[in-house]
Amino acid sequence: MEFLSLPYIILIIFAFVLYYAKANYHWQRAVLLLSSVIFIGYYHLMYLCVAVGIALFTYYAGRLLYLKRGTKSSPYILAGSIVALAGGWLAARYWSPLFPLGISFYTFQALSYLIEIYWEEEDPEPDLLNFTLYMLLFMKFLSGPIERGYDLLPQLKKAHPFCYENITYGMKSLVVGAFMKLVIADRIAPFLNAVFGAVHGASGIQLLESTLLYPIQLYADFAGYTNMAIGFGIMFGFKLSPNFNRPFVSITTGELWRRWHMSLSFWVRDYVFVPLSAETRRWKSWGIYFSLLVTFTAIGVWHGAGWNYAIYGLIQGLIIIYETAAAKQRDWLQNHMLKQIYKPLFIIRTYLLFAFSLLFFRIEKMSDICYVYQHVFDGVNTSLKETNLGMPDFNWIAFGIAVVLMFVFEYFNSKRDLLKLVTRQKVWFRWAIYYVMIMLIFLFGAFGVEDFIYIQF
Amino acid sequence: MNKQQIMSDLNTIFCQVLNKTSLELSEETSAKDVDGWNSLTNMQIISDAEKHFNIRFKLREIIKMKNVGELCDAIQSKVSI
Repeated sequence: MEFLSLPYIILIIFAFVLYYAKANYHWQRAVLLLSSVIFIGYYHLMYLCVAVGIALFTYYAGRLLYLKRGTKSSPYILAGSIVALAGGWLAARYWSPLFPLGISFYTFQALSYLIEIYWEEEDPEPDLLNFTLYMLLFMKFLSGPIERGYDLLPQLKKAHPFCYENITYGMKSLVVGAFMKLVIADRIAPFLNAVFGAVHGASGIQLLESTLLYPIQLYADFAGYTNMAIGFGIMFGFKLSPNFNRPFVSITTGELWRRWHMSLSFWVRDYVFVPLSAETRRWKSWGIYFSLLVTFTAIGVWHGAGWNYAIYGLIQGLIIIYETAAAKQRDWLQNHMLKQIYKPLFIIRTYLLFAFSLLFFRIEKMSDICYVYQHVFDGVNTSLKETNLGMPDFNWIAFGIAVVLMFVFEYFNSKRDLLKLVTRQKVWFRWAIYYVMIMLIFLFGAFGVEDFIYIQF
Repeated sequence: MNKQQIMSDLNTIFCQVLNKTSLELSEETSAKDVDGWNSLTNMQIISDAEKHFNIRFKLREIIKMKNVGELCDAIQSKVSI
């Protein structure tokens, strides 16, 4: 049941109407729980059983950890719970014929919940239904954002009265997300898939173009999904965590990872990097480098079973280690170069490093990845015609304009909340914007292409 | 050791780690207020502070520190023991 599918739209309409029929906490919780159960069960009953099983396990493990706080058994309970949850996830990822959707995301939620209780930063949720909803909430179930208990649980414990302004704000976020997904990501997806699916048949220039465009496709796809998830959340009165913050303006790879898939990168920072770097801090810089390598390899492996994913993570770690070691030289450059030159130069460098490392993320066969690296600068084979990747000129123009629009929107949105600004405009102007946006999506969107990329993780 | 002295020593440590000539730290200053203070440099700051004050933090104490004031309090409680 995809966000942009008819069954989902029907589910969301029913859920929405029922949800606001009674601004009562118990009623709204029941509607959300039922909607989430239908949403997950619609994919496969087994997915629902696994998710509920993990929710129950985590709920009782959290209570046990709380009861045994300060005793000698507490670290063992935490370790046992981590082994069980991570083991279950690994078994599903590597050995199960059916990979339960969303398991990577809600397992990470479960782990953070238990670790926070163990660290005595949080107390366990007393109500089983609240906790189950925290784990299963349908708008963030498939691909996050990975929510922390202390952010989402308090929001689940109160009634959400109908708020016209919030609901329209959420719908605007949905439209922005749909635009990114349908007009940008899905527009280019079939052509990049054709190149990456048969790299030996592509010319050098096609490989280079695809390598450079893939980060934009991936970003529009995943950030588009996130904007929709956040938009659905706002429509039901919830504030979900942001996952992206203009990653392509980063001047270092370290900064990029503070702006890219933030709910995952902050998760590994807090529960892998910080404990590891704290334990190894006597090794000075080497402790930080070691922790970075382990953390980023873990991010890579989180994405999949192949060596390519581990290498993808390892490359990110190595680049950040280099950036950490060369921080003084970078500062010197920054102080001795014009800002107008330094910033674009480092933004382009960061983008290129990310784009070329993403080949390990996009292509599974190592021999194909090597082939791309060997031939990416081969240039044009036969004619300049091949530079369009088989995509009609009209599509290129629509795609190009949409990408520019997306970046311009994000730039101004970072200065001032544009969606709120639209709300304050006169009715005729506001509705003109809505019509233009929806027309643009219907005219230039690519419908029925495929799932969201991150649904597979 | 009084708080003012710890703050002054911390200021020097922050400047060294973050490669800055001067910084104006207050008790409320947190990572989002200081350019370059992130998860990578934070552990170097903690490690240098431990060495300077001859103390050792537990992991849980490190996690609980949310700003300079809390770091300062944690140092003061350990130094005065």
